[in-house]
Amino acid sequence: MSTYEERNVEPPTTESGDVDGDAIEALLGDHVLDREEHLNADAYVVRADAVQDVLQTLKDDAGFDHLSCVTAEEHEDRFESIYHLKQYDDPTNEVSIVVPTSREEPVSESAAPVFRTADWHEREAYDLVGVQYDDHPNLERILLPDTWQGHPLGLDYNQDKPQIVTFEENKNPLEDHARGGEDSDTMFLNIGPHHPATHGVLHVETVLDGEQVADVNPDIGYLHRCEEQMAQKGTYRYQIMPYPDRWDYGPGGIINEWAYARAAEDLADIEVPEYAQVIRTMGSEMCRIACHLLATATFALDLYGDFTAIFMYGMRDREIVQNLLEDLTGQRMMFNYLRLGGVVWDIPEPRDEYFENVRDFLDDLPAKLDEYHDLITENEIFQSRCVDTGYLDPEVAKNYGVTGPVARGSGIDYDLRRDDSYGYYDELEWDVVTEDGGDNFARLLVRMREIEQSARIIEQCVDLLEDWPEDERNIQANVPRTLKPEAGKETYRAVEGAKGELGIYIRADGTEKPGRFKIRSPAFSNLSALKEMSTGEYIPDLVATLGSLDVILGEVDR
Amino acid sequence: MATATPLPDTIQDILGIGGFAGELLSMLLGAALVGTIMLTMTAFAGPWAKRKITAAFTDRISVNRIGPMGLGTIIVDAVRLLSKELIIPEGADRPAYDIAPVVLAGSALLAFAVIPMGNGIHLADPETGLVFVFAIASIASLGLLMGGYASNNKYSLLGGLRAVAQNIAYEIPLVVTAASVVLFTGSLQMSEIVAAQTVELVTIAGIRIPAWFAFVNPFAFVLFMIANLAEVGRNPFDTPEAPTEIVGGYQTEYSSVYFVLFYLGEFVHIFLGGAIIATLFLGGPAGPFLPGFVWFTIKIWAVFLFTQWCRSAVPRVRIDQIIEIGWKGLLVLSFANLLLTAVILGVLGL
Repeated sequence: MSTYEERNVEPPTTESGDVDGDAIEALLGDHVLDREEHLNADAYVVRADAVQDVLQTLKDDAGFDHLSCVTAEEHEDRFESIYHLKQYDDPTNEVSIVVPTSREEPVSESAAPVFRTADWHEREAYDLVGVQYDDHPNLERILLPDTWQGHPLGLDYNQDKPQIVTFEENKNPLEDHARGGEDSDTMFLNIGPHHPATHGVLHVETVLDGEQVADVNPDIGYLHRCEEQMAQKGTYRYQIMPYPDRWDYGPGGIINEWAYARAAEDLADIEVPEYAQVIRTMGSEMCRIACHLLATATFALDLYGDFTAIFMYGMRDREIVQNLLEDLTGQRMMFNYLRLGGVVWDIPEPRDEYFENVRDFLDDLPAKLDEYHDLITENEIFQSRCVDTGYLDPEVAKNYGVTGPVARGSGIDYDLRRDDSYGYYDELEWDVVTEDGGDNFARLLVRMREIEQSARIIEQCVDLLEDWPEDERNIQANVPRTLKPEAGKETYRAVEGAKGELGIYIRADGTEKPGRFKIRSPAFSNLSALKEMSTGEYIPDLVATLGSLDVILGEVDR
Repeated sequence: MATATPLPDTIQDILGIGGFAGELLSMLLGAALVGTIMLTMTAFAGPWAKRKITAAFTDRISVNRIGPMGLGTIIVDAVRLLSKELIIPEGADRPAYDIAPVVLAGSALLAFAVIPMGNGIHLADPETGLVFVFAIASIASLGLLMGGYASNNKYSLLGGLRAVAQNIAYEIPLVVTAASVVLFTGSLQMSEIVAAQTVELVTIAGIRIPAWFAFVNPFAFVLFMIANLAEVGRNPFDTPEAPTEIVGGYQTEYSSVYFVLFYLGEFVHIFLGGAIIATLFLGGPAGPFLPGFVWFTIKIWAVFLFTQWCRSAVPRVRIDQIIEIGWKGLLVLSFANLLLTAVILGVLGL
């Protein structure tokens, strides 16, 4: 099915295998104004009107085919847009492009023509920070309402000023959206924000030709809770950690916390004890199983149309994982379990009983997955609904920055747990699951098979933890009470969330709070590819595709 | 088993009032009795049995707080639903919007007039009974379409269109399959159809197996069951409602009493499907030991259980797939069944 061929462009590397910064600088030539060191990669400062040139060169000639994230921030004297580039083949090859613009005229060239994913990321940057992007296809607000005044993450923003919007202005924000005239053949239909299939509060503006989808545009932002700003107001050591639980509440809490922990530990140079890493690994794989069970259950719900057997089975089995997580962390959803430098407490006593519970769950899991396969994947009606619908081409997927099970369902072999290893993953035996179908069915299969792999990881972790010598059970490194990373230190670090690459960018400003805290949400990028997958298909396929993307709006809107 | 005297005549005999007034009174009483039986069954099915059955399929407990086994829920739900505000959407096409639920519920109930339920509960026995049933039952599509377009809601419109497209695609196979049964009986009269099934098919080890058409022509039985699922709009064919796609389809904008009527109409429709299946294929009220009416009730509840099972276990097909299955699959198969039955009967000279 897949017509996908690897493009064999490799970034220039030094002998040790790192990206060769000088070669990149030479490749970009005159465009480079300056060079900075970020903790994760070299950064090149380029002129605001050369963004497309630079990114195109890096994409075509140096193999950086993954625009992972776009961060915008305002400094005292300038705006900055930072493009974090990676390679799908080897995400440890990273490079950042910094684009400064003046505060008086913050206009920079858009990267959307080069990377489609920049479309939404730049809209967000415009919305929250206020950078303008030239040549952008549709520079509108994305998270905040169209009528919002000011850019909340900008330095001049006055939070106390009430948002006074006249009734006239707010009357019908969809007035001039895609409505055909009186004699149009198409029908405009709002799916959501209150609709059974939107998995939260998502608004999908669709244009229908009969039952077929002529155009579709996801409208997000209904669950925007200023997570980035709240993180910027909290101290590294204690106050930020509770927030990540609120992003992917699938519940992917521990994975989310790990994303922050990884970035902050990188920034403050903290070594995490191995024992704590094993616990983290086990906890985050439990979260992954819970998330994937939820995704499978709700995807089935979208196809069945009712709270039917498979949905309830999924919830029932997820409940067991939730109980295990509750025993471990004390909470069912908002774990707040990780700390910088480790975890908050050890495995609950009596340890044997806890491990036994985990093993019971793992022992029962294969039979349950078999039952799922009997009920859904082997059902012919189910197959006729999923196979070949919602097709996502791997090249298109890369262009949209798609990651996680969605990317792996399109045959893109990209998993940060293996490719940019962290925690204890590289010590354990497990496989990255990929399927070549690129359709709804492939994405479902990837999730179901990943549950098996996560179970393998947990089993090995339990073995390790059981035999861990009692006097070496160090759950936390020594971390100072107050963390103040040096001003100007910047890093972008990502972990493999249940939905894909969950990245955090932090710039330290010398205080105990981050100067800029940016969340790269995997579901955000994945959702932006919805249009490519469902145009021309039927409404039921659109709903199924939306389900197979497994978006959690808390993570999309942050 | 087929009753010679229809129910109104029996009632008139008991009342002993002659003339037109007595006839009218006994007709009304008979109709009220049949209507009450069906509505009582629906009351059990809708708020209680459906929940219990689904819960059993999905590892849940379901209603159990009010009354024994949660049976009090039936009353509580009735009060709850009836006391809700009746919201009529702006721009609704008024008479059509109001008539739609009545048409839906009424048409399904009306068809029970010719169904023999055993123990003499049989309102009328016209010679064209089977045609009457299908003709009346298909009026329901009109109700769905009216509700769909009159609600002034795009989801309702889509649901109404889907409902009609689906009902047309499945009514033809339904009727054609039923015609293959008529080939055996040579009559459209319901009592004749039931009577034809009382004869003995085979006797195995002393147990007499009656010639129910489900045994005589199982292929037609299966076809009819499938087409019936589409006719009553249950999984895998519940596209007209399709909660995750088009919210609630034609009933999206209906609340309170109107919603109850829609809901009730749907359940009566499922029971009607069960009654037709029982009459055509399962020997009507026939059965050993128990009275005919009990057997009849068991049979239609069995069909109801089957629809609930499908609802819990089978995914929904897409609207284009459903039409395709209807026109390209079931229609062809049902005509093949009809021809084959006719040829076999002709050759055997029955």
